[in-house]
Amino acid sequence: MRPRKDDEALVDVLDVLLRDGAILRADVIVSVAEIPLVGIKLTAAIAGMETMNEYGLFEEWDVERRRSAVTRRQHQRDRRRDDDRTKRDHEQVALEQSRETRDEPDSS
Amino acid sequence: MSSDRADRLEGVDDAETAGDGVPEIDDGRYLYCLVRADAGDSLETTGVDGEPVSVVVEDGIGAVVHACDGIYDSADLTQVRRWLVRHQTVVDEAGEAFGTPIPFQFDTILRGDDEGVREWLREEADTLERALSGLANHWEYRVEVVEIDPISDAELVDRDEQLQALESKIDDAGEGTAYLLEKQFDKRLTELRAGRRESMTTDLKTRLDEQAREVHTLERSPTASLADDVTEAAGDGRDGETLCRLTILAHEDDETAIGSILDDVAATDGLEIRFTGPWPPYTFAPELGGDDEPADLDPNQQ
Repeated sequence: MRPRKDDEALVDVLDVLLRDGAILRADVIVSVAEIPLVGIKLTAAIAGMETMNEYGLFEEWDVERRRSAVTRRQHQRDRRRDDDRTKRDHEQVALEQSRETRDEPDSS
Repeated sequence: MSSDRADRLEGVDDAETAGDGVPEIDDGRYLYCLVRADAGDSLETTGVDGEPVSVVVEDGIGAVVHACDGIYDSADLTQVRRWLVRHQTVVDEAGEAFGTPIPFQFDTILRGDDEGVREWLREEADTLERALSGLANHWEYRVEVVEIDPISDAELVDRDEQLQALESKIDDAGEGTAYLLEKQFDKRLTELRAGRRESMTTDLKTRLDEQAREVHTLERSPTASLADDVTEAAGDGRDGETLCRLTILAHEDDETAIGSILDDVAATDGLEIRFTGPWPPYTFAPELGGDDEPADLDPNQQ
């Protein structure tokens, strides 16, 4: 048989992109590869936290911090182009305020 | 590992770190993969979030990148999935154009501009050269073996004296004893099923090992499904039981031989094989730029 590479097969491989692939360890790197994205955190609840933990995907991570990254990203995008407003919009104001009063991050 | 990185990140430039622990990037390069390339090579494709992709080349090694000013993160699953598909598509196209890439995880971003990327390529030239040579013409393939009509309990009992003995004991026993015996009975069934899976997997692995460079067993179900709803994520909507999932690193010339082995398995009644690839060697990609121990390439950290 020949290996397939259709859309269905692709879906199977997508979660690999969040976990596998070369890992860069350099001062120039900014990577969230080891930090589950907010979206992935949601699926983790579905997939089962234990499995995710086995893969070390769950470092102690403050969701709020991730969220504010989302928020900032959306702001950047809004500045760049008139994008669709997301359903998270109403949280942005609160997050903006909380970010200004946030403590220094701890490196866990 | 990650804490190590966090320390380094904090040491990079505290001023550039926002109050939320996520580094601010004024000018960054989103990194898809590394390939063998010559000056002037390019890749005509659209990247994550619609960004134009370019190839930054230094000394025969090309980094496939796009310019960005922040990480990609969203609570919207559909959005995340779209990004992932784009990421994978770009790496795929780079592989078709330049040969086996060293693929990076989603959301790997280099701080700085093209010159910064070139500087990094120069610094890491030896390591990158080794990694590229090591993976040249090799691809990742994935195999899933599904038993369409899993063997019934009755059939397992027919084949197993211990189960038969337990069954007749249960028939003669009082309620309390029967309950305990049934527990034993179920345990034995579970063991037998696991045993069947294991022996089949071991057998297949042994045969594939002869043709492939590396074979690893994966969890029987994917870790994080990006499916839209719980039911879809919990099962794949197909009947049957997954006996095993394997990921294989193999030379492209051995693809046919691997296909033949899988044909043999597929000829077994009631077994279905899903053979996908060739994928960029995500699971077999190295760890770069650290002075630490080499990366653990075992994708199955059980």
